[in-house]
Amino acid sequence: MTEVASENAAGPAPVNGSKPVQELKIIKRKLNGYVGFANLPKQWHRKSIRRGFNLNLMVVGESGLGKKTLVNTLFNREVLKSTEAVLESFDKEDDEETEAEDVTVKINEYTNIIEEDGVKLKLNIVTAPGFGDSIDNTDSWKPIVNEVNRRFDQYLEAESRINRSTIDDQRIHALLYFIEPTGHSLRSLDIEFMKQVHNKVNLIPIIAKSDTLTDKEIVDFKRNIINDISFQKIKTFKPEIFDNDDEETILNCQNIVDASPFAVIGSTKEVETHDGRIVRGRKYPWGVIEVDNEEHNDFVKLRQLLIRNYLEELKEQTNDILYENYRNEKLTRMGIEQDNSVFREFDPLARQEEERALHEAKLSKMEKEMNNVFQLKVSEKEKKLQRLEADLFNRHKEMKDKLIKQIKLLEEKKAQLEKQKLLPPDPAPIPKKKGFLR
Amino acid sequence: MPEKVGIANLPNQRHKIVSKQGATFTLMVCGESGLGKTTFINTLFETGLKPYADPSERHNKFTTLHQTVDIDIVRAELEEKNFKIRLNVIDTPGFGNNVDNNDSWNPIIDFLDDQHESYMRQEQQPSRHSKVKDLRVHACLYFIRPTGHSLKPLDIDIMKKLSTRVNLIPVIAKLDTLAPNELDTFKSRIRDVIEAQDINIYTPPLDIDDTASAEHAKQLIEAMPFAVIGLEQVYETEPEKFVKGRKYPWGLVEVENDAHCDFKKLRSLLLRTNMLDLILSTNEIHYETFRSVKLGSDATTNGSDNSQTTNKDEPSSHDLMKKLQKKPRRLHNPKFKEEEDALKKYFTEQVKAEEQRFRQWEANIVNERNKLNQDLEEMQAKLKALEDLVKKLQLSKR
Repeated sequence: MTEVASENAAGPAPVNGSKPVQELKIIKRKLNGYVGFANLPKQWHRKSIRRGFNLNLMVVGESGLGKKTLVNTLFNREVLKSTEAVLESFDKEDDEETEAEDVTVKINEYTNIIEEDGVKLKLNIVTAPGFGDSIDNTDSWKPIVNEVNRRFDQYLEAESRINRSTIDDQRIHALLYFIEPTGHSLRSLDIEFMKQVHNKVNLIPIIAKSDTLTDKEIVDFKRNIINDISFQKIKTFKPEIFDNDDEETILNCQNIVDASPFAVIGSTKEVETHDGRIVRGRKYPWGVIEVDNEEHNDFVKLRQLLIRNYLEELKEQTNDILYENYRNEKLTRMGIEQDNSVFREFDPLARQEEERALHEAKLSKMEKEMNNVFQLKVSEKEKKLQRLEADLFNRHKEMKDKLIKQIKLLEEKKAQLEKQKLLPPDPAPIPKKKGFLR
Repeated sequence: MPEKVGIANLPNQRHKIVSKQGATFTLMVCGESGLGKTTFINTLFETGLKPYADPSERHNKFTTLHQTVDIDIVRAELEEKNFKIRLNVIDTPGFGNNVDNNDSWNPIIDFLDDQHESYMRQEQQPSRHSKVKDLRVHACLYFIRPTGHSLKPLDIDIMKKLSTRVNLIPVIAKLDTLAPNELDTFKSRIRDVIEAQDINIYTPPLDIDDTASAEHAKQLIEAMPFAVIGLEQVYETEPEKFVKGRKYPWGLVEVENDAHCDFKKLRSLLLRTNMLDLILSTNEIHYETFRSVKLGSDATTNGSDNSQTTNKDEPSSHDLMKKLQKKPRRLHNPKFKEEEDALKKYFTEQVKAEEQRFRQWEANIVNERNKLNQDLEEMQAKLKALEDLVKKLQLSKR
C-alpha cells in the first residue's frame, strides 16, 4: 500500500510559524534469518476458522428466473425453500396480498449455518420477492436500495456506539442480479436497478436459465449486456489481480472476469447422463445439461467468484470501499467536517518542537503578565514615593516660607524697635562716635 | 453430494488477503538504560534496527543543550518469505535515569493514550481511506533489572499503569548475571508480586480444542516472566556449528537455547505464535476500553444538552465527536519547569532589586525630611531668638 505523504493539511494547530515537516526515516530490509513474523497469515488462518465466516448475499430478479434453485445449487443444500413450498404457505398466510393487482416488493431474510471440514459459514440470504412483477415497476428498486442503506446505517450506528463489543455485520456483501435470458439486451428496468445499486453493493449480474439460449445466442447476449453496462457506466464486481500473484491465479481470475455476466443454470436434482454418470443437471429429451460442467454453463466460475476464491474479497471490498464511501457521504451530509490534520505520523521530534512552541508561548505569556504586574507595582510605588517627596518639599517650603515671613516681620519689628530705642532717648553719643570715626 | 461448496477454502482466502496486505506491528521497550533493550531488539529481528546509544553521548544530556526525546521511534519495513510488516519500535530513553523518577513514566503513559486517541480521531473522520496512521502499541516489553531480589516500587507502579493500557510482557534482562536457582527464586518472587499487586500481564490464550497449541501456550505461561540475554555475536561452538550468545571465560550462554534462556519462547510469543493475538487484543480490548472510557466520560460531561438530538439511551458518537474539545496538552519536560522557575526567579530578583531601591529611596526621604526638619528647627530657633530679642527690646523701651 503506498502512502500518500501529501496529506499534510495543516489544521488549526496552535503551533506558531514553522509547520511540522514530515520526513520519516524508514528502514527497509529483507531478513536473511528466519525470525518468524511471516507466520502471521497462518495465525490468521487459524483465527479465522475459530471465529467463523459470514456472508450476506442478496438475490434480486423477477420471479420465475430460478433464483432459489440457483442459490440452493450454489450451496448444495436447501438454503431457500423451493418456490412451490413457499407458495403453499404463502397462499395460506397472506391470501389477499397475492390477490392484489400491484405486488409490492418485500424483503425476506433466511439464515443458514453451513459447515465444511470444520469451517463454519453463517449464510444470510436476502431476497426481494415481488421485484419486477408489477405492471408498473418504476420504483421497484426503491425497497431494495432502502434495505441496503438500512444495513449500512445499522452498521454505522453500531460502529459509533460507545460499547461495540458485539457488532453484527449485516451489510450486503454481494448482490446476484438475475437477467432474463431474452437474447436481446438489457431492459430499462435492469439498467435502472443496476444504476441504483452498483455504488452500494458488489454487483454480480448473471444470465438466468441459460439453457434456453444456444452458445451463439449467449455470446451475442453477453456482448450486448457488456456494452450496455459499460455504456451506462455500471460497476460490477471484479476481483483484484495482484502483481505478485502466480500465473495460475492470474489466469483463473482473468477467466472469471471474462465470463461475466455469468450464464448459469441451476439444479439440485441428480440426473444420469447418456454415458452413465450421475450429475447435477437438467435432463432434456435431447440431452443432459450439467451444472458443474464448464463446457455447459458458467456455474463453476460463478461459484469460484462467490464462494471458493473471492468470498473474503467481496467482504473486503464491501468494508473498505463501498461502506467507506457510503459512510463518508452520509457523515458529510450530516455536517461533520473532515479534519485531515489528525492523519499525521507521530514524530517525537516534531512533537517536541510543538511542545516547545507551546511552552514558549506559555512562558512568554507568563513573562508578559508578570512584567505587567511588576511594572504596575513599581510605577505605583514610584508614584507614591514621588508624591511623598513632593509633599515633603511642599510642606517644608510652606513652613519655611511661613517662618521666613515671621522672621522677616520680627526683624522689621526689631529694626523698628531698635530705631525707636536708639534715636529718641539717647541720640547724642552715636553721632559723636560717628564723627570721630570719620 | 457430488461436490463440496468450497467453504473449507475460506481460511485460505483470509491467509491470502493477509499475506498481500502485510501487517503493522508496534513494539515498545521500557526499562532503565543498560539493560540490553537495544541488543534485544536487534537480536529479535536479526538485523541492526536500532543504533546503539554512544555512551560518550550520554553525558551530553547534562552538559550540552542537545535534545533528549522522551520517546524514540524506529520505523522499519521488513520482509520475510514475501511477507511484509511495517515494524515500529518505541523506545523510552529518558526513563528511569533521573535521580527522582517519580514522574518519569508520565511521557510513556501519555504516549500510549495519545496513540489511542489519535486513532480514535482518525476513525471518526468521514473519509479515512487507507491513510490511517496507527502507532498503537501491540506489546510492551518491560525490562526488569536482574537484582535477584524483587521488583522495585517504581517497577510495580509503572507496570500497574502500563497493564491497563497495553499488552504488558515483563522481561528479566541480562539473566546471565543470575545463577539458575537465583533466577528461579527471582522469577517466582516477581510472579508473586505481579499476582499480589493485581498486575494484568499478557498471557497467551489457551485453545481448548487444539492441544498442541494449548500445550505451547502453557509452556509460555510457565516461563513468564521471560529471562533473556541478547547478543548478536556469533560463536562457532563445534566445527560448522554457529550459535549466537555471550562468551565468558567459564562458558558460552546461547541465546537460542531453551536451557540457557527464554529468548526463543519470547520470540515465539511476540512473532511466531501470538503476534496476531497481540494485535487483535490491542484493538479489541485495550483500544476499545480506552475508547469507551473516553467517549463515556465525554458523554456524561456533555450528556445534558444532546438529549434532544438522539432519544436513545446512548448518544451517538457523532454528536460526541462534534463536542469533543481538544484538551490542553500536558507538558512534562523537566526543562520546561526549569525555565518557568527561572523566569519566576528572575522576576523575584527584579522585585527584590526594586524593593531595595524603594527602601533606599524611602530612607533618602526620611533623611531629607530630617534635614528639612532640622532646617526648619534652625529657623524656628532663629525666630525664637528674634522673638526674645524683640521682647527684650520692647521691655527695655518702657
